[in-house]
Amino acid sequence: MVALIPSIRTISPRLTELFWDVPVSDELLEMKIYILSEISKNFAPSIEDIRSGFKTISIQWKERYGNFGFEEFLANLSLKPTSLDTKTWEIPVCYDLEFGFDLDRLAKLKPITIEEFIHLHSSPTYRIHFIGFLPGFPYLSGLDPKLTTPRKSQPDRAIPSGSVAIGGNQTGIYPQQSPGGWHVIGRTPIRVFNSKASPPVFFEMGDQIKFKPISKEEFEGLKNFNPLQLS
Amino acid sequence: MIRDPAFAKIIKTGPGTKVIDLGRKGWGKFGIPSAGPMDILAFRWVNHILRNPENSAVLEVQQPGLVLNFEAPTLIGLAGAQAEIKLNGVQKNSGCLLEIPAESELKIGGFDKGSILYLGIKQGIQSESKLGSKSFFEGITEQIQFSNGDKFMYFTNQEIPTFKARANPVFSTSYQDKTHIRVYPGPEWDLLQKEMQDQLLNHTFLITPFKNRMGAQIDSPFKNEYSSIATAAVFPGTVQLTPSGKLMILLQDAQVTGGYPRILQLEENDLPAFNQLKTGHEFRFELQSFT
Repeated sequence: MVALIPSIRTISPRLTELFWDVPVSDELLEMKIYILSEISKNFAPSIEDIRSGFKTISIQWKERYGNFGFEEFLANLSLKPTSLDTKTWEIPVCYDLEFGFDLDRLAKLKPITIEEFIHLHSSPTYRIHFIGFLPGFPYLSGLDPKLTTPRKSQPDRAIPSGSVAIGGNQTGIYPQQSPGGWHVIGRTPIRVFNSKASPPVFFEMGDQIKFKPISKEEFEGLKNFNPLQLS
Repeated sequence: MIRDPAFAKIIKTGPGTKVIDLGRKGWGKFGIPSAGPMDILAFRWVNHILRNPENSAVLEVQQPGLVLNFEAPTLIGLAGAQAEIKLNGVQKNSGCLLEIPAESELKIGGFDKGSILYLGIKQGIQSESKLGSKSFFEGITEQIQFSNGDKFMYFTNQEIPTFKARANPVFSTSYQDKTHIRVYPGPEWDLLQKEMQDQLLNHTFLITPFKNRMGAQIDSPFKNEYSSIATAAVFPGTVQLTPSGKLMILLQDAQVTGGYPRILQLEENDLPAFNQLKTGHEFRFELQSFT
């Protein structure tokens, strides 16, 4: 396996970042999940927050200059990543043009039929690399390269809650209404983020997602339901 | 301690009046920012002079022209922006403790200095706590900001309805005179050409009207020739170089990750001063190293 030893960047007296200068991959994700759990085990009381990116783990310490012993800890850490979870969540998506208001235009742009488009989008099993942007917004890998589409040059002011969209080589779900530059191809009726629930998001980094096409009638029946765990 | 619930009514407010406490800590992995106070110095001050627990919720006021009606007696503390204050028609100093009798009207007029005012209340504002914080935040709390006619709850004491301001502490706003904002090199600072780094550090920037709890958009004379990065974490005080060349200084309600180069990181002790700067005010970056 590739040497996946991160470099350490000290950003400010309370911010430290681990950075991997390698392409995004499942191997890298395995390594990040392993290191995250080791950091939590050893430094939890000193940490205010940890945020992940595709190639980064960023730590906000409680105290200024509070990362005492962290570099030594990393240097001595034996890198033994565990294999990724096979936990897979089924997210029902209605690709009706009323919800997926950019789908018709995107399909014509490729050009493929809407049915092919939906098939290409709902066939892969996507991997959650981290959650960011909005509460509960998953950053996924696994989009079919045929569906890659540059973001809109002029972002939409309000993308509706539950929208499933494509931006660049990524696809994602908007857990709440938000401005956004991605192309909307459908909507899920399930509630991705619920601040009354614990945890507020049912999935986490490393989990997998599969989109299941549903009709408008099914959409109505599944409103605010929780998703199904396939495995 | 006797805790009889009472309500304050928002008679009139501009946009951005919110309940804020120290924020949600440790929820970054779910994409949730902390949403703490924009000016933590003023926030801590009002709770300190009221002898409140340090995480008591206060009112964060972003616009002049707030009118409140308190139905029952309490004690309030004001800090942050220096504002024209009238209690039941009588002019008061801002940055102080105020005894509030029953059926009082408090008017907050123009801000003479600073741009964010904190109004703390004895025992804190009593509102819903979500994920460990009362800070208003879209998608998390039911309410996102106060509108005219809204109410919030606080505790009074119906038995002995007097609250005495035993001291008269004065809030110093001198930290708000700071116009050199200390910064550290961001993770993508080294991507910039030396010439552009020098320009950034020698340029005088202006606060634009596009500043809120999410961030401050700052015009710059720079061209952005740098591509976006693999999405990575951002924090309050992260300075992003956007595709148009403008700078985006991310603040307390900003998203937890971003894809624009993170060229600088503000020293967090200078965030209160930066956040208090008004539209049109000038500032410069002062590069620090901490090794």
